[in-house]
Amino acid sequence: MKIFCLADFKVEFDKLKTKKSYNTIEADIIEYFFGKSVEVLCTGTRLNNSAETPYIKKRINGKGGFRFYFLLIIKDENLFLMFVHPKTGSMGYENIKDESKAYLYKKVLECIKNKDLFEMTLNSEGKNIVFKKA
Amino acid sequence: MQQVTFKSAISETFSSVRNFSFEEKKSFLSEEKVNELLDAILEFNRIFNKKTTTINSINEKIEKLTWFNDLNNETLLSLNDLISSIKDVHSTLIKQYVSLNYIRSKGIAKEEIAKFKNALDDLKESYQDLESIFFFLPEMPDFKETTKQLSLI
Repeated sequence: MKIFCLADFKVEFDKLKTKKSYNTIEADIIEYFFGKSVEVLCTGTRLNNSAETPYIKKRINGKGGFRFYFLLIIKDENLFLMFVHPKTGSMGYENIKDESKAYLYKKVLECIKNKDLFEMTLNSEGKNIVFKKA
Repeated sequence: MQQVTFKSAISETFSSVRNFSFEEKKSFLSEEKVNELLDAILEFNRIFNKKTTTINSINEKIEKLTWFNDLNNETLLSLNDLISSIKDVHSTLIKQYVSLNYIRSKGIAKEEIAKFKNALDDLKESYQDLESIFFFLPEMPDFKETTKQLSLI
């Protein structure tokens, strides 16, 4: 499974990583997304009723109670992280509006078409995420 | 005469204080009373842990519903009933949570109550998402168009 993200996701990630209350975000992403099968990743809340390209919201109930929004293109084994927000703490909120869910969905499609993405891999120790413009 | 009255008043007061002090110390130190209080707190924790486990299990079931593909009017009708029912139980449980304000302010069962509230917040998020997925997002033209285009990639 190749993992990509939108620039918007990277911005949120960088912001959250520097905050003490949310500094588990990198480890949470590595643990949940990296090296996982499609079956494992096809859990959470599916937002688009699509079996081939599920748009998923996943709650990770760690320190920040992160909510991850991502798209899977199963036939290509590609995963696209679109957005993340914490549920708790100073930067936390409960949910995003339907308009935002639709906006992110449209945005990921545009970014895939224009190859406006970052590829996410792990460093040699497997403890940090490396972002590389795709 | 006045001195005797004063003395007896002091004595009477002393007697009241002494008795009260004795009763309070006896009552406070009574192992039985302490155990009763601890049992009540444990029972309270047990009840709220059970509620939290049930809510979390419902949340998992709701997530799984979003992975079914055979949608039709009948399933949509059932989903609509389900959403109303979840809203109703959420409202009841929020009232219970508010009624715990005093207990919370005393720091009793703080962790159990926090977990209960967290599960309740997730329940609210779950029914909001169900409404979005089955009733609102499919009606948004942009959303429909994106789904269509993604299926062609």
